[in-house]
Amino acid sequence: MATPIIMPRQGISVETCIITEWHKKKGDRVEVGDVLFSYETDKASFEEEAKEAGVLLEIFFEADQEVPVLIPIGVIGEPGEDITPFLPENMAQGQAADAAAPGGAGGADPAADAGAAAGAGASPAQVLSAGEIKISPRARNLAKKHHVDLRSAVPTGPEGRIIERDVHKLVETGPKVTAAAEAEYAVLDRPVAGTGIGGRVTTEDLQKAAAGPGAAVDFAPGGATAEGPQIPAVIEYQDQPLSNIRKLIAKAMHQSLVNSAQLTLNASFDATAILEYRKQLKAGQEGLGLENITINDLILFAVARTLVSYPALNAHFLDDTLRVFKNVHLGIAVDTDRGLMVPTLFDANLKSLNQLAKQAKRLISQAKAGSISPDELQGGTFTVTNLGTLGIESFTPILNPPQTGILGVCAIEYKVRPAESGYAHYPAMTLSLTIDHRAVDGAPAAQFLQELKQNLENFPLLLAK
Amino acid sequence: MSYDLIVIGGGPAGYLAGERAGAAGLKTLVVEERFLGGVCLNEGCIPSKTLLHSAKIYDYARFSEKYGVTAENVAYDHAKVIKRKNKVVKTLVGGINAKLKAYKVDVVKATGQILGRSSEGYQVAAGDQIYTGKRLLIATGSSAIIPPIPGAKEGFEAGFVVTNREILDLEEVPKSLVVIGGGVVGLEMASYFNSAGSKVTVIEMLDHIAGQTDGDIAGILLKNYQKKGITFHLSAKCTEVKSDGVVFEAGGRQEFIAADKVLISVGRRPNTSGIGLETIGVELEGNAVKVDEYGKTNVPEVYAAGDVNGYSMLAHTAYREAEVCINNMLGRRDTMRYNAIPAVIYTNPEVAGVGETEATCRAKGIDCEVVNLSMRYSGRYVAENEGGDGICKVLINKKYRSVIGVHMIGNPASEIIYGAAMLIESEMRLEDVKELVFPHPTVAEIIREAIFEF
Repeated sequence: MATPIIMPRQGISVETCIITEWHKKKGDRVEVGDVLFSYETDKASFEEEAKEAGVLLEIFFEADQEVPVLIPIGVIGEPGEDITPFLPENMAQGQAADAAAPGGAGGADPAADAGAAAGAGASPAQVLSAGEIKISPRARNLAKKHHVDLRSAVPTGPEGRIIERDVHKLVETGPKVTAAAEAEYAVLDRPVAGTGIGGRVTTEDLQKAAAGPGAAVDFAPGGATAEGPQIPAVIEYQDQPLSNIRKLIAKAMHQSLVNSAQLTLNASFDATAILEYRKQLKAGQEGLGLENITINDLILFAVARTLVSYPALNAHFLDDTLRVFKNVHLGIAVDTDRGLMVPTLFDANLKSLNQLAKQAKRLISQAKAGSISPDELQGGTFTVTNLGTLGIESFTPILNPPQTGILGVCAIEYKVRPAESGYAHYPAMTLSLTIDHRAVDGAPAAQFLQELKQNLENFPLLLAK
Repeated sequence: MSYDLIVIGGGPAGYLAGERAGAAGLKTLVVEERFLGGVCLNEGCIPSKTLLHSAKIYDYARFSEKYGVTAENVAYDHAKVIKRKNKVVKTLVGGINAKLKAYKVDVVKATGQILGRSSEGYQVAAGDQIYTGKRLLIATGSSAIIPPIPGAKEGFEAGFVVTNREILDLEEVPKSLVVIGGGVVGLEMASYFNSAGSKVTVIEMLDHIAGQTDGDIAGILLKNYQKKGITFHLSAKCTEVKSDGVVFEAGGRQEFIAADKVLISVGRRPNTSGIGLETIGVELEGNAVKVDEYGKTNVPEVYAAGDVNGYSMLAHTAYREAEVCINNMLGRRDTMRYNAIPAVIYTNPEVAGVGETEATCRAKGIDCEVVNLSMRYSGRYVAENEGGDGICKVLINKKYRSVIGVHMIGNPASEIIYGAAMLIESEMRLEDVKELVFPHPTVAEIIREAIFEF
C-alpha cells in the first residue's frame, strides 16, 4: 500500500522545515533506512530515512521549499498505486482547517484566513513558496497587483504575518518597481534608486546597477590615469544566498545590539590552578573517563557555580521585568559548518564536573553534526563563548537576548608579576564579560568576574564547596 | 526686487515652471521678451494646428465623395483662417496670463539678461530693473536656423524666405512654395499649403523624410503626400536661394525650382547667447546648456529646461523638464526620462510614435521583437478611413517582454499615442497590457491587436 512521506516535526516549537536536498529521485526504488532527503529548521539540519521499502512514486515539494511539518511531502509505494489521498491539496485543506481551529493565525485576520482555505486547494505551492515571508494569500495577490517588494513590508498580522493592510501601507510608502523590472529586482541583493514614474525602479535602473562601479569610469574626467583612480573594468564577485541559519544569526546579532545596552568588562586570572588540575585529570585513572574533561569544561563548571550568587546575570531581561532563574541553564557557543549555534546545558549548576563535561561534549558534537534537537537550542540563561583556542586575547561578545550576560573565554598568555626575588611569570587567561547594562550595573558585574576569578584560581576549593 | 526663482523665458518650459513654482509657494518672476507661450503657442504647435484643421475640413469638403458626400462651391479663405488662428492664440495666451496671475507669479515683458551672482542670489536685468533670484531657470528656447546657403539670409531679409514664424502670418497663399527641410515643421507646412492650393516642393538632404520617424511609416507618409501632389527631392542639397526660386543639387545634377515663397525648416538652435550665461559660468555643450537628469546646470541653483538644453525640442518635453526642475528645487527627487516622449506629425494622415524604433534598438543594442500591423485591423479605422493604408508597429524588449516602442500612421494617431507612452513609461509587459480594456470601436484598439500578435 502506498505510504506518505511525512515531514517530521523536530522539536515542539518547529512549524516548518526547509527541504535542502532530495537524495532520491521520483521513480527510484528505496529500501528501509535509505536516506530520502535532508531538511533543516532555522537551527539545525537533519536527514530523513525511508521507513518503508518501495518506489518513490511522487515528490510534492522540491528542494529549497519551506514545508509545514507533519504534511506529506512525497509517497512511497508500488507503481500504479493511487497517490491522490496524499496530494497536498487534499491534505492542505485539512491543515488549513486545523490551523484555523485553535485561533492563532486565524483570529485576527479572518478575511485572510478564509482566503487561505480557499486558496490552499488551488495551489499550495504558492502559499509556501515565499520562503520565510509569511503572508496571507489576499495580501499576496494585492502585492502582486501593485508590484511591491514584499521584503520591505512591515508585518502586523498574527505571528509576524503580512496581511492586507501591510501591503496597502507598502504601496503608499515603500519602494516601487515596474512590471518589467520586477522579476530581476526581486532577486537583487542591494537597493537600487528608482528613476521611473513615482520613483519606480525601471529595467534601465537595474542595468545601471548591474553595470556597477565600473560604469562610473565613464564619468571620471580624463579616464583612469596612473595617479587617478584605478577602477577595474570588472569587479568580480559571487552572490551567495544566505542559509537559513545565517539569516537567523544575522537577525539575532543585529537585534541584540540594537535592543540592549551592552558593556564589556575584561579581567584576567592566574590559570595555574586549572592547568594543574587538568593535568591531574589527564594523568588520572583510566576508566573513570575523567581524562576527557577540558579546560573549557572547568570554566563552564566554575561559571555555573558562581552564577548562582549573581541572579541578575542568570536572568532574562523582559522590558518591564527581570526573570531570574533558579538554576543555571548554560548556553555554549559552538562554531559549526553552518554557523554559530548555542546548545543549552540545562541545570548546569546542579551537575558534577564529570556529568557537566560529558553533557557538554554531547551537545557540542550534536550541534556540529547538525543532529541536535531544536529543543536543546533554546532556554539558555547565560552563555559562554570560547575563542581562546583560536588565540584571541580579548573580545566583546554579543549578548544572546533576553539573557543579561555572556562570558568570552580568551587564550592563555604569560604575564609577569613581582616575586620574592625579581619577577615570576604565570599563565594568565582573560575573561571578557558582556552584560546588559539595563539589567545589571558595572560594579556587580565586576564582582561576579572577581568571584569567578577567585574560584578558577582556587579550583580545588570550588570543587569542595 | 528679490525672488525665490527667476525664470528667463515664458514659453512652455518657462510659463509652466512659473505655474508649478507659484503653486508650490515660491515667489517667482517670469521674464519674457515676446509673448507668453513662446514659439509653441505663438508661432508653432498651436497656430499650425489651427491652420491644419481648416485645411482638413476643406479637404473633407472637397474629397468626400467616397463617403457619399459631395459639396459644391467649396471655397477656402486663407485670410479668415489666419484671423481665426490669431484669435485662438490670443485666447490661449490670455489663459496663461490668467493662470500665472492666479498663482501670484510676476511677469515682466523684457529681455532678461543675467548680470552675475551676489550673496543674495543671481542678478537679472529686465527692462530698466534689476531683479535678484535665489534660483534661476534658463528657458530661453530655440530659434529657427537659417543655414549658410548663398542668398538665404538676403532672401529672409527681403521676405522671400520665411521660417515657421513668418509663414504662419502670410496674408496670401503663395502660388508655389519650396520647403527646404522635410522634418516635422516642413511637412506640416507643406501639407497645409498643399491643401490651401500652393504647388509645394520639398527639398530634403536625407534619403527619407520626417527625421527620426520609423522608416516604414515615413515611406507611407511620403506616398500619401506624393498622391496629394507634393513634389519631393530627397538626398538633395539646396545650394543657392535666388530671388525667384531655389537651386538644388541631387544625383550630381543642379536644378532650379521657381517659387513665390521659400520656407526654411532645417532645424533649431538653442538660444544661449546674449543672455549673460557666461557671467555666472554656465557650461554649454555645443550651443545648448548642459544639464543633468535633474535639470541642473553646473552652477548651483541654476537650472535649464526646454529647447535651450538641446535634447528634444518639443513643447511636451519642455513641460516635463520644467516640472523636474521645479521638483528638484523643492527638494523632491525627480528624474527626467526621455525614453517615452511621444512625437507627432499633425499631417493628414497623422503620424505618431513613442519610444524605440528598430533603428534606435539597433544603435543601442537592444534585442527587440516587432509586430507590424495594418491599421485596417481596427474597425473604426476602416469605417472612417476609406482606402487608408496606415500601419501600427509595436516593439517589445525581448528580455523583459515589455513594450518599448509604438509607432503609427493613420488618424487620429496623435490622440492615441499618449496611451502607448504610458505602457512604455510604466514598463508594462505584454501579459500586463493584455489585461487592459480598450474602448470599442476605436482606432486605439490597434495597439491591443498588435500586442496579441506577439
